[in-house]
Formats: sequence, structure tokens, C-alpha cells
Amino acid sequence: MKGLGARHIALALLAFLLVWAAVVATKVPPSEAVRSFIDGSMGGPAAWRQTFREMTPLVVTGLAVFLALRAGLFNIGADGQLTMGAAAACHFALAFPGPTGLWLGSLAAMAAGAAWALPAGLIKAYRGGHEVISTIMLNNVAGFLTVWLAAGPMRDMKQQSPTTRLLDKGSFLPNLVEGGPFRLSLALLIGILGVAILAFWLKRTVAGYELSATGANPSAAETAGVNVRAVTIKAMMASGAIAGLAGAFLVQAFEHRFYANFSPGYGFDGLGVALLSGGSPWGLVPSAFLFAVLSSGTSSIQLTGVPKGLNGILLGLLIMVFASVRYRRSRTVGD
Amino acid sequence: MAIDTGLLVVSTVTLSAPLVLAALGGLTSERSGVMNIGLEGTMLSAACAACFVGLQTQNMWLGLLAAVVVGVVLMQVHGILTQAFGIDQIISGMAINALAAGATSFVNKGFLTLGVTARPVLLPKQFFWIAALAAVFLIGVIMNRTRAGLRLSAVGNDPDKSRQMGVDPIAIRYLALAATGLLCGFSGALIASNAGSFTDNMTAGRGYIALAALIIGGWRPWPTLIACLGFGLIEALQLHLQGTQLAGASVPTEFWTSLPYLVTLIALAGLLGKNRAPAGLGRP
Repeated sequence: MKGLGARHIALALLAFLLVWAAVVATKVPPSEAVRSFIDGSMGGPAAWRQTFREMTPLVVTGLAVFLALRAGLFNIGADGQLTMGAAAACHFALAFPGPTGLWLGSLAAMAAGAAWALPAGLIKAYRGGHEVISTIMLNNVAGFLTVWLAAGPMRDMKQQSPTTRLLDKGSFLPNLVEGGPFRLSLALLIGILGVAILAFWLKRTVAGYELSATGANPSAAETAGVNVRAVTIKAMMASGAIAGLAGAFLVQAFEHRFYANFSPGYGFDGLGVALLSGGSPWGLVPSAFLFAVLSSGTSSIQLTGVPKGLNGILLGLLIMVFASVRYRRSRTVGD
Repeated sequence: MAIDTGLLVVSTVTLSAPLVLAALGGLTSERSGVMNIGLEGTMLSAACAACFVGLQTQNMWLGLLAAVVVGVVLMQVHGILTQAFGIDQIISGMAINALAAGATSFVNKGFLTLGVTARPVLLPKQFFWIAALAAVFLIGVIMNRTRAGLRLSAVGNDPDKSRQMGVDPIAIRYLALAATGLLCGFSGALIASNAGSFTDNMTAGRGYIALAALIIGGWRPWPTLIACLGFGLIEALQLHLQGTQLAGASVPTEFWTSLPYLVTLIALAGLLGKNRAPAGLGRP
């Protein structure tokens, strides 16, 4: 395999030039755009609150995608699993006001996420159907199903838009720190704790080792006595459960309700977070932080007249450049 | 519950045409071994380009040309990233979709909504119908009757063996991806032309439905056409049946819109015949 070279630098430069050209094309002075970006993501308590809020679902969905990726599976379905989890968490929190709703909701969200990932795991393990295709299909079905739920059975008829009523305060996931406009939710701490648990589990347990072995080389793992099918299905379900929990956190800690088109694409961003983690679970934390800064920064940059779409441009190019350095496939013949 | 059959046929064909074009785009790429979940983003970018240029010049034919150029460029980017840089094909596809969603929304908010009020002259639907049917026929002939088609399948089934036989998989894949870009360009321009203006995420998952039709059609042109017509019929029926009762209970529209995805899951589970995926799909 070829190493890093001039072409990687050229690609990175080209990506940078594209972003620069996009900002220049809007006729907003670049210095003003950059300042607004930094102010909106890290300049003061309200900006930090927004960045940490964005970071929470990104750490958790990143964790979900990372786990599946370690088992050699692309879980593109985290978005659908998250949405199903959010709907389930909201349903139970509304049915059981108080802390019971919080706990039952979290469990239900994990179950819903896992159930939504199960078909993809089964199809991959028993039929060899690509998990990317099946999870894309499941995402779309989850989208339509939850739009129907939010507009029909779960809807609060007093509201103009398709949304549920607000959760009981007792079912909220509490904030760790509250001061002025600043908030830091317990959800983010749980997410980072989850990263620590995954790092330990992958390194120190037999199941974690079997999962990595399956991802690295399934036929070698099979020969060594690993039940690759079982690992595939379990990894997919675990990934779905974690993504479902991300949905629960969004409902319990931030939104306090469920509505149609709930996720703005946290599941897809989770794939980017997992890719940029650089192959170590601990890398998920800075990677999620970077994505969160990009998101809150580009939200703020809108005020200067640069459209929010810049976020997608940045994410797409970032993934391209980073993947060109890290996620290359080796050739066996002729290279 | 009366349905006007003639109207139903017309709307089925209208709704299927962009799917057929995009699915065939997916076919040329995937039969050459390049997985392509970037169809959605490529169609969206093409639709945006068609609107932008069509509105600026008041000529939708130039809009179509712009759509094709943008489609081909994006698919060559997919080719360069996956073939020259060796990025995983799924990651590259995802990145293209993210980039396309962001860039089109950026162009729409920043440039499209400013000062343009005139609607462009729409392209005749029949032109796209003929283009779609011609594409199915042409690709069918190329795949089954020509040396080029044989090479395309050979590269898609086993790139290493092709390399040993003196067929360069990389060159063939760039060509196949150019065809993908061309077809997605037509598909995006058709969607833009039908709507008359650009809205964020206006392709609304049609790229994924096209991918689904490709899988159900077993990566073959004519069966893929039939799958697209089936999905088009579902969409048309849904529009016609809106608000009517079926067997005494009203069926939510969300069920109908989910149907293509559900059918694809069933197909992936192997309940609709054997898996015909090209053997070398996703391999470098």
C-alpha cells in the first residue's frame, strides 16, 4: 500500500479551498465569519451550553456506530434506531410520570433501538445481505413510522404541529451544572462513561476480543472457534440499543417531548464521529466535540449571512480527507 | 372507490421515470463493483444545478446540461476517492451525500432564493420517458451483447482476475461512474423540472428507492425497470387513494411510502429469490 503523499496534501488543500470559496461567495468577510463561528461555539456560557448539547447525541451515536464498526459492520441505521428509541422513551415517560418513566423509558429506548437493528443483523448473518442497504431501508421505515406516531397516536391535539405533550418534570434527566445560561446535562457524562466502558470491554473481556476478531477477519475468527453469526447479530443489536439510548437522552434531557422528523441526522453524524475517532474508543470524545463545535459554529455563522449548509459541506469534506488517510483498503494484486 | 385508470398509468410512469434513470445509474456503477449509496446526493446536486442554471438562463435544456455535468463530476469524485485514494466505498458514498445535502442547501439559501421570481420553462415529461426507456434498452444490449458489457461484469465480479487478464478495472470503473453521473443528472433534472423550483432535500430518498429497485431487479436492466414501475405505482396509488377507506379502515399514507423499503427488506432477507449482488461489489 502506498503511504501518505503529495496527493493527500493536495486533497486536503482542495477541500480547504472549497470551503473558503463557499464563504467568499456569500460576500461575508471571512474574518467576520470565523469570529462568529468561534463566538457561537466556544465564546461564552450560552455557546458552550449549545456545543455540549450537540455533543451529547454525537458521543452516544458515535459509540453505537463505533461498536458495530469494530465488528466489521457499517451501522448506517443509527438514525432510525435513535428515532425509534426517542419515541419509545417518550411513550413510557408520558405513561409513567416521575422517575419510573425515566428508567422505563431508557430501557424501552434501548429495546426499541435493538429491535430496529435486529433485522439488519439477521439479514447479514443468515442471508449475507449488506447491512448498509438494510439499515438505510430501516431508517426510512422508522422515519415514516414515527411521523405517523407523532401525528396520530402520540399527538397532543392541543398543539398546532405534530408533537406529543411535554414530559413530567420528574422524568427529566437532570443537569449536572446549571449557572446562568450554562447547562451541562448528566447525559453527556453518561455518554463519556459509556466510552470508558466500551474501551475496557473491548480490551479486557473475551466477548470484546471476539467482536474485534470478527471485525478484523471473520473467517479467521470462525476457524478460531468464534460464532461469527452470533457475534454479528449481537453487535448489531448492541449498536442499535446504544443508538436508541441516544434518542432517549434527547427526549429526557433536552427536548422533553417527541415530534415528527425528530432527528436532524445525528445518526449519520455518528458515523462521521466514529470514523474520525481514529480507531480508539477514546478518540470518540474529541471527535464528537469537533462535530459539535462545527454544528453550533455553523448555526451561529448563519447570522452573518453564511447559510447553515456549510456544516454539511464541512462534514462531507472532513470525512473524505480523513478517510483518505485512514480508511484505505489494501489491494491484493496489481498494486 | 373509482380510480381513473388512464390517469393512474400516466402518474405511474411520471413517478417511475426518475427512479428508472437513477437505478440504471446505480446499475452501471455497481455492476462494475463500485457500491454507490451516493445516488441520492448526486441526484440532489443535479436537481440543484438544473434549477440554478435553468433559472439563471431561463433555459431548462442548459439546466439539464448543468445537471449532467454536476452528476458526472460528483461520480468521478466518488471514483477518485475509492479508486485512487482507496477510501471505503460506503464511506465515500456517505461523504458525497453529506456534502451534497450541505452544498445544495447552501446554494439554495445563499443564491437561489435571491431575486429570482420567474419560473423556468419546464422540459417535456415525454422526453425523459423516452430517455429512461432508451437507457434501459441500451444498457440491456450493452450488458448482454457486447464486449464492453462483458468486461464491466467481469470487473464487477472479480477485479483481481480481470487485472490478470489484462483488463484494467480502474479505467472501466471511471467510465461506468461517468455513465452513473450522466443518468443521475437526467434523473435530478427531471425531478427539478417537474417541481419547477428547488427545495432542500427535494429528492426525498428517491436515490435510496432507486437503489432498492436495483436490488429487487437483481442488478439487471429490465427487471429493475419493472421494480421501478412497481414503486411508481405504489406512489401513484397512494396519491390517488389519499383519504379513501380500504377494507373499512383508513390506511395511513406513511404505510404506503414505507412500502418500497419494506419490500426491499423482504427481498434482502432472500424471500424473493436468490441474491444476485455482483460478487466483487465493494472490493478495491
